Amino acid sequence: MIKDITLGQYFPGDSFIHKLDPRFKLIFTVFVLVEIFLCKNFLSLGLIFLFSIACGLISKISFKVIMKGLKMIYLLIFFTSALQIFYNKTGTPIEIFGGKITTGGIFTAIFMAVRIISLIFVSSLLTYTTSPTALTDGLERLLSPLKKLHIPVDTLAMMMTIALRFIPTLIEEIYKIMNAQKARGADLENGNIIKRAKALVPIFIPLFVNSFRRAYELAFAMECRCYNGSNRRTRMKKMHTGWRDIVALCVVLLILAAIILLNHFFGAVI
Amino acid sequence: MNDNTLISFRDVSYRYESDTDTPLPLALKNINIDIKKGEFVAILGHNGSGKSTIAKLSNAIIMPESGKVYIKGMDTVDEKLEYDIRQTVGVVFQNPDNQIVATIVEEDVAFGPENLGIEPKEIRKRVDDALKSVGMYDYRFHQPHKLSGGQKQRVAIAGIMAMQTECIVLDEPTAMLDPKGREEVMTAMQRLNKELGITVVLITHYMDEAVKADRVIVMDSGEVVLDGTPREVFSQPDIIEHAGLELPESAKLANELRKNGVELPEGILTPEEFIEAFKFCVSGGNEK
Ligand SMILES: Nc1ncnc2c1ncn2[C@@H]1O[C@H](COP(=O)(O)OP(=O)(O)O)[C@@H](O)[C@H]1O
Ligand SMILES: [Mg+2]
Repeated sequence: MIKDITLGQYFPGDSFIHKLDPRFKLIFTVFVLVEIFLCKNFLSLGLIFLFSIACGLISKISFKVIMKGLKMIYLLIFFTSALQIFYNKTGTPIEIFGGKITTGGIFTAIFMAVRIISLIFVSSLLTYTTSPTALTDGLERLLSPLKKLHIPVDTLAMMMTIALRFIPTLIEEIYKIMNAQKARGADLENGNIIKRAKALVPIFIPLFVNSFRRAYELAFAMECRCYNGSNRRTRMKKMHTGWRDIVALCVVLLILAAIILLNHFFGAVI
Repeated sequence: MNDNTLISFRDVSYRYESDTDTPLPLALKNINIDIKKGEFVAILGHNGSGKSTIAKLSNAIIMPESGKVYIKGMDTVDEKLEYDIRQTVGVVFQNPDNQIVATIVEEDVAFGPENLGIEPKEIRKRVDDALKSVGMYDYRFHQPHKLSGGQKQRVAIAGIMAMQTECIVLDEPTAMLDPKGREEVMTAMQRLNKELGITVVLITHYMDEAVKADRVIVMDSGEVVLDGTPREVFSQPDIIEHAGLELPESAKLANELRKNGVELPEGILTPEEFIEAFKFCVSGGNEK
């Protein structure tokens, strides 16, 4: 299950989406996320959903991978939809299996599910198509005005890079420790929730201890390479704003206009 | 100390800070080492003999308790020189996982030069050159965590090379690698030394690696017990054994055979030398 975490994974490529300026890509992503929340009916939501799928196709990232990322939130989607179905009492009531639900409930449930899927889809597309370094660099540039308020934006960006860098390493380590504990007879798969939670303790303690050692060594290695958190770093890769970013900007704005119009002229589901 | 000396330890002692009231014993005791430009030096010693402490001292990560460490004449205690020192001597550590900072190979190699504030174009060139010289250029877009140990370690070496340091200190870079990975890293290090003229200090506990160096320094409990060419050093089996080390496999085999009456010459260190001598011995026997 842990292996399904694709958070922060990056799939190198040279698609239109890969080549966007990371700063703009960040802005666009936030923009589209807001647009998803603005949708009030199935037409506007459908539009943005199709747009997300189109972005997925353009990025040439296999849908299998994206679906894998969604796996983690199936449960969330299921529960939100279930809640809507049982608690939403608008619309015509229908009776199934002896229980009473309403068309309103069903529609909202579907609406919520599609909305959550689109949200995850768009945000994972950002990390899938942008190298973490580019992502954090972009974020750093965008937030650089905050430096005037003495917020250490560059240090925070470096922390983020390192966090992203170590996610796969730590996941690998969890597996190693789990296997080591299993070899010693630890039972991780059976028993009730409390029992299983207890079984996790001997996995997380070595993980923490090792992480501290790692952090210590990494700090040495970074110092050796002249990092001290305060020097003005240059970057190998410059960020270029190009025609792609302008095209993308137009598309995102057009969609915004379309959503506002669709919301205005057609009835709202929620 | 003449102009050719790159790293110079003068009566250096070092003690790690203790968590309790009782101070720890000295990790290094009055060490004197001079390493010249262009040398390939191997530092040997059992676990805890103070090898890593030497690596950290030579990079101004820690300061000697007494004595002085000079890098090209620069005193490591001087904080203003920290940058210049780290641009002269780079350190590659044992665990490649814990020294790779970025998520893409080429971005990691660029980390050092970026910290130095070098122009983007120049960084690009350095990164490409460094990756080529360790044979990792084809992997420049890969993610480090998907590489093998030997490959990761070569990326780490490239990361130091891109800073264009004159000297690279490698602290047991092959300890966590399989034979193939060791071979790869060893080849890369020899190339750096022979082709690019970079001074290499290889800390190791593999004798077969030490044999390939120009000079071998043997450490025991924080002291230098032997310092000389591999031939000189390995002709002192008693001291080597006392330091908790073993002779190289070929030397051991030759010694055993000699004890049992096979007429092999002294001073055999590498498998190649052994084969040569053994062939000569065998053919000589046939002729008689
Ligand atoms: N961070 C530390 N704190 C306390 N003692 C240490 C620390 N690092 C090393 N030592 C001690 O210093 C001595 C030399 O260690 P080190 O230089 O790491 O040896 P080597 O690299 O040859 O194995 C050892 O006795 C070791 O236990
Ligand atoms: Mg060590």
